[in-house]
Amino acid sequence: MSDVPVLSVRALTRHYTAGGGLVRALDGVSLDVAAGELVGIFGPSGSGKSTFLMLAGLLENPTSGDVWLAGERVSHAGADLDALRETRRKRIGFVFQKANLIPFLSAVENVALSLEIADVAPADARAHGRRLLAALDLAHRADSLPAKLSGGEQQRVAVARALANAPPLILADEPTAALDSVRGRQVMEIFRRIAAAHGTAVLVITHDPRSTDLFDRIVHFEDGRVCAGKAHP
Amino acid sequence: MNLALKDTLHAPTRFVLTAFGVAFLVMAVIGMTGLYRGIVEDALLIIERIDADLWVVQGERAGPFAEGSAVAADMDRRVEGVRGVADVRRFTQFSQQFSVAGSPRRATVTGIDVPRDDGRWLPLAEGRWFGGSRYEAVADASTGLKAGDRIQLARDVYTVVGLTRHMVDSAGDGLLFVGINDASVIARRRTSEEIHLARATAGGAAAVSADTSSVAQESKIAAVLVRLDPAADPAQVIAAMQRWGDVRVMTTGEQRDLMLNARLWKLRLQILTFTGMILVITAIVVSLIVYTMTLEKLHEIALLKLLGARESVVIGLIGQQAALIGIAGYVVAIVLSWLIFPLFPRRVVILPSDLAQIALALTLVCAGAAFVGIARASRVSAREVLS
Repeated sequence: MSDVPVLSVRALTRHYTAGGGLVRALDGVSLDVAAGELVGIFGPSGSGKSTFLMLAGLLENPTSGDVWLAGERVSHAGADLDALRETRRKRIGFVFQKANLIPFLSAVENVALSLEIADVAPADARAHGRRLLAALDLAHRADSLPAKLSGGEQQRVAVARALANAPPLILADEPTAALDSVRGRQVMEIFRRIAAAHGTAVLVITHDPRSTDLFDRIVHFEDGRVCAGKAHP
Repeated sequence: MNLALKDTLHAPTRFVLTAFGVAFLVMAVIGMTGLYRGIVEDALLIIERIDADLWVVQGERAGPFAEGSAVAADMDRRVEGVRGVADVRRFTQFSQQFSVAGSPRRATVTGIDVPRDDGRWLPLAEGRWFGGSRYEAVADASTGLKAGDRIQLARDVYTVVGLTRHMVDSAGDGLLFVGINDASVIARRRTSEEIHLARATAGGAAAVSADTSSVAQESKIAAVLVRLDPAADPAQVIAAMQRWGDVRVMTTGEQRDLMLNARLWKLRLQILTFTGMILVITAIVVSLIVYTMTLEKLHEIALLKLLGARESVVIGLIGQQAALIGIAGYVVAIVLSWLIFPLFPRRVVILPSDLAQIALALTLVCAGAAFVGIARASRVSAREVLS
């Protein structure tokens, strides 16, 4: 495994004006996430966690600072976000609090969509989608529409979709917030497994203290800054 | 996978209702265009089919269709003597109410010069052409008459010997063809009182017939139709006849022009204006439908962008859906048109060329609507997934 971090942010800052004043949503955050590492980001509401995910996920430009993926500087102030779509497609998987599945596609189609967007042949994309769903114990629900799935099942389909392109980085924003403790734990265990088995760097923003034992590292955000870091024993 | 198709199949009822909405609008466009074509075709029916090169009508008049016309009863013999004239036929046309089994009917009586003209240019659906005897009629099916029916016109009973279809005048009244002499008698129908008054005026003269009236009688011949010798110069023939001073001579082209640009001009303009209006309404409605569908999918579009989908995927989703609505609406509109328009009282003529033009217009409308939707979708940011 290379020593180059999968994700590296340097002096990341995001300021915006609101009500006539300057809001420092993120204020000089630097962070590295290595391959195979499961990192939890904790912090109160408004601490900058979601802003960090937006910037690291190439969904928004920083006011200053850089985002590096596998040693390549990909985002900075003034970067063309539209041009970063391909980078997002190939290198980043997203999981959110809501599963955000496309309602008119079945579970396997939702997973296969990520692959078809990346020009994988439909039949291959579907076959891989079924394999991923089977790995997440959802083989029997592969042809079901999202509306027919439970919240936990929907979230696992979202995880499968994030994994479809085998991205080196997965960013998850409150992925267990809408799940009960059992289902929430299940999802976090999946992340743990993915990180260990595939060497994927997984960054999870969460409020949920129930699964802290699964993280390799926990980073606390407060007022837009990293205020503490600890390695999980 | 085809996202547009998947989305459509996910809510088929909604799609079907939308397609029917578009279909009814397109059907209205097809109907208005077809009505226009039908009115023009009906109006030109006699002019086109009767096979005349020249129409000799009353002087300083634009008869017999755009204006009333009456020429001397023996005008045909005068015209026949002009160099270059191959043959002549007398012609007249007027509206007539009559009664069949107690119910009132309406027809446009058209007198043709039997036996010079036995009506073989009439497309018969049933029965036969004129046999040469009097009191025979060939009726259009739209008059409600059938072959073999007997009807009273003026004081005589006529037998319907043949039946045509789609032979109506510019107002949509079915044509009833009779011999020219019969037509003159029908046109000269007078009440008994008129005849008594006429007899009194004539000072008890014995030979006052039923055709004699208390009002001045005029010829009921509206025009004389002329076929020219192949070698004749039409301009010379026209000039020769117009020198008489009491007639006007028009070519078939001039008759056609008078009918379309004088008599039917306002109607044509109105129908075309309505057609244009319906097209504009269709454009607005289809645009709104596609735009609303785009708005409903903004979250999915943001998700596609988050997953790194190229703009072409989003454009394909919106464009294909607009195309699906357009195609479905167009096909349903054609099917409904074929089923419904034949039941309309006026003829609706659906021409392949008109359908092709409507398809082109609908394609442009859908493309415009898709453009509006795509323009909105292009403003969607991937981060809106989180909103």
